[in-house]
Amino acid sequence: MDKEPITKILLVNNQIDELARVAEFLEELGDEWDLPMPLILSLNLVLEEALTNTILYGFDDENQHTITVDFSFDGEILGITLMDDGHEYDPTLKEDPDITLAAEDRQIGGLGIFLIKKTMDTVVYQRKENKNYLILTKKIKS
Amino acid sequence: MNVKVTASPDYTLVTVEGRIDTTTAAEFEKSIMEIIDGGCTKIILDCAALNYISSSGLRVFLIVQKKMMSIGGHFRLSSLQPGIKEIFDISGFSAIFKVYADHDAAIKG
Repeated sequence: MDKEPITKILLVNNQIDELARVAEFLEELGDEWDLPMPLILSLNLVLEEALTNTILYGFDDENQHTITVDFSFDGEILGITLMDDGHEYDPTLKEDPDITLAAEDRQIGGLGIFLIKKTMDTVVYQRKENKNYLILTKKIKS
Repeated sequence: MNVKVTASPDYTLVTVEGRIDTTTAAEFEKSIMEIIDGGCTKIILDCAALNYISSSGLRVFLIVQKKMMSIGGHFRLSSLQPGIKEIFDISGFSAIFKVYADHDAAIKG
């Protein structure tokens, strides 16, 4: 399936209430690109985890910042690239939680990045020209 | 997100609808903690209408589980949708929560 990839860009402000708009955008994207609802919910999870981290912890000032979310799909591989101008942060370096621990030993939190890694097939971080790039891909079963 | 609470003599049935995410997790936590602070030690959470959860929601589930264990109570989940079940499996949460097919099974335990 070597189709010309289709692309779409979503711009997100660094405010948590933007997540509602992200969810709506993904539902529309699902309709347009004919993606199944369970996949849309998985992608919603991935974006919520990535964007929440960036919005809450990524910026050292109180200014408005725009996070660019770039979607592409060639009929086989779905790609999502998030770009922000926050401080350098490589989420792929975060250690995975130990999911075999009993409830009393499990730490509260720390699952966000792990869920992204488990949901997507590849997760790559790059720092270029003072910007963070999180490049995610997932093979779509047809 | 909507939370509906039905108290009976033996347990409290909590039905959650919609999404438990970054924007709603605090409200969900408050609802459940109010039930526990009210003296309830047995909670059954019916998740049939829960169609989305993120790590913010999982965090609250774990807080509630730890709290219930510390007071010798129980927290049982029922009717997880497949997508939610998958996230529980990925997170290792399926092993630390008692999950039942439906709320009748959760009542029987």
